[in-house]
Amino acid sequence: MKVRVIGIPVQNQDKALKFYTEKLGFIKKFDVPISEGYRWLTVVAREEQDGTEVLLEPSPDNFEPSKTYQKALFDAGIPYTQFSVDDVQQEYDRLLNLGVEFSIKPTEMGTVKLAVFNDTCGNNIQIVQML
Amino acid sequence: MTFYQREINRIRSICYSNEGQIETVIGIKNFIDNNFEKELNLDLLSHIRYTSKFHLLRLFKKYYGLTPYQYLTCRRIEESKNNLKKGMSVSETCFMVGYGSPCSFSTLFKSKIGVTPIEFQKRAIFAK
Repeated sequence: MKVRVIGIPVQNQDKALKFYTEKLGFIKKFDVPISEGYRWLTVVAREEQDGTEVLLEPSPDNFEPSKTYQKALFDAGIPYTQFSVDDVQQEYDRLLNLGVEFSIKPTEMGTVKLAVFNDTCGNNIQIVQML
Repeated sequence: MTFYQREINRIRSICYSNEGQIETVIGIKNFIDNNFEKELNLDLLSHIRYTSKFHLLRLFKKYYGLTPYQYLTCRRIEESKNNLKKGMSVSETCFMVGYGSPCSFSTLFKSKIGVTPIEFQKRAIFAK
């Protein structure tokens, strides 16, 4: 058993692809039509293109508990998932310049530094650096 | 302020209030990062931060979840992966990251990564 893909529910796949590639710097790996306008859409880190893929999967619009869960996490500021970076402050400055909104500015917490931003597709995402 | 921000503040005040301890372990971790290819041991690391070996061991494990030796191993394995991806030979990689025996290095690498260095290198080249 291997971990090849992790999923992030996004409210709009086109918008998500634009945000994750143009702002975050990921690279599109697979974009396969599935049905009714939905796609199997994955991106990978530029530095690890053979690494774990991030699946930008459509939020299940027709399943109310899932929508409630995603919204509750977002409203509470809780990250859906997190990505590792070498320098949180540098990445924060870069993304801020690109208009990305942060709910938590770079903050040290013991032996890590973290920050949290809005992915514009219904999720908070945390970036983390080990100090 | 969001719920998550409040939780971060609360947990930080409970778990990470001892700045001296945190500064010590971060200093040791940075030293390992910058000297991973050298021969490092607990005596040397504790001497750098003027602390006892056992105190350092306890603190490092408390804040990083690993002993300094386990962290050193992770750091060396990560570096060896980078070297193998660049096409460096197994023996050269082994010595470059601070190990003395390619055979022991291969065994350790397989136990941590799941495949031998040779296999890892083949897959990395194939993935390109």
